[in-house]
Amino acid sequence: MTGYGLKLWLIYKKDFLTELRTADSLLSTIIFGIMLVVIFSFAFQLTDVAVDKAFAAVLWISIFFTSTLSLQRSFANEKENDTISALLLAVGDRGCVFLAKVLANLTTLVLLAAVIVPLAWILIDVQAAGPNHFGLLLLSLLLGSWGLAAVGTLINGITVQLAGTRLLFPLLLFPLLVPVLIGSILSSTAAIQQTGASMWGWIYLLLCFDLIYTVVPLILFDYVLEG
Amino acid sequence: MMKDQLIVNRLCKQIQNKAILKDISFSASTGDIIVVSGHNGAGKTTLLRIIAGLMPKSSGEVLWNRQSYGLDHGQIGYMSHKPMLYEALSVVDNLEFFARLYGCWSADKGRELLKLTGLWLHRYEPVGVLSRGMQQRLALARVLIGAPRLLLYDEPFTGLDLEGQRLLREIIQEYQSAALQIIVTHEHSFLEGLVYREIKLMNGKMEEGALR
Repeated sequence: MTGYGLKLWLIYKKDFLTELRTADSLLSTIIFGIMLVVIFSFAFQLTDVAVDKAFAAVLWISIFFTSTLSLQRSFANEKENDTISALLLAVGDRGCVFLAKVLANLTTLVLLAAVIVPLAWILIDVQAAGPNHFGLLLLSLLLGSWGLAAVGTLINGITVQLAGTRLLFPLLLFPLLVPVLIGSILSSTAAIQQTGASMWGWIYLLLCFDLIYTVVPLILFDYVLEG
Repeated sequence: MMKDQLIVNRLCKQIQNKAILKDISFSASTGDIIVVSGHNGAGKTTLLRIIAGLMPKSSGEVLWNRQSYGLDHGQIGYMSHKPMLYEALSVVDNLEFFARLYGCWSADKGRELLKLTGLWLHRYEPVGVLSRGMQQRLALARVLIGAPRLLLYDEPFTGLDLEGQRLLREIIQEYQSAALQIIVTHEHSFLEGLVYREIKLMNGKMEEGALR
């Protein structure tokens, strides 16, 4: 493993371990996600909306709102005790810190999805998709979560240095995430409705978005965390 | 052994049109202890953070062995009045994490530093449950484990008990031959017995220094 890779792994492991040891943070995020799915599914039971169309919307709105809880902890925790300064001096590369945090946030979102998806599947009573389409749903979940993690980490890195970070974070995050949300909902819906061919355009859009919001901040993060 | 040299030349820092540091110039080399003093808001912490590479300067030069540097320096130890530790992780996990990032983890060195700072018996406890003084002691161990050649302390005596203050003073003395040390402090009494140069900051400007 290269020096860069090792540092990336160490920060990732530390972030994930910290998240697990402060179990109340992770638990509150997951419980909030479960509550959203339950409330949405009850609401949809009372309407005539087709469940296969509602499923992806319920799923992604739940993931989207829940993710803001965990994403805004990313740099806020580091700022609280100024561990970010010690971390940057030891790592020597702000981009490496960004990438490790994106990966740690992605892992948290995947864990969250692992709880929310089966729950939504049961509560909304979606008809089983074929194994191929279930794979496409997983791909859509992974790419959507990647986008959320990348943009959330970037915005948290920017806002954590400003006054009123709790207000600014969602205000800046939501408009930027609109393409991810649209792409994720439509690709997930296509996977559930087993119309796989129509989802590839959205999958490519998500992939492009994810790459741009991972690579560009990686280069520019020196300026984000400066000061 | 070749001595490392730090040169600060006409350093200025402006934040939102307010001049925080104005034309700061000094040089120092391994073995020197520089004490930076001044009233609140004089720019002491800003100066230290710029030297650490954590904050960009507006103009001027900060050179290490005649070369400009940033976060890539790799041999800077920075101790602030905040412990800069992860509260959810244990004492030993914190130390090991930073040491591995510096690429110099050894269990023996870790044990030695934890015994030196009186934290060996608390090594598996989460940092969050430790007292402020014990956290500062661990912060000292964190700084030293990377074998730094430039040691920066920002109000390091804050939160330390008498024993901790004595330990820190001994460490500053012990590292005098191996590192260049810059200390921001109001409390000169803690530095009794040490030979140091003083830089006084007054509204961001440097006043005449003195050798003590």
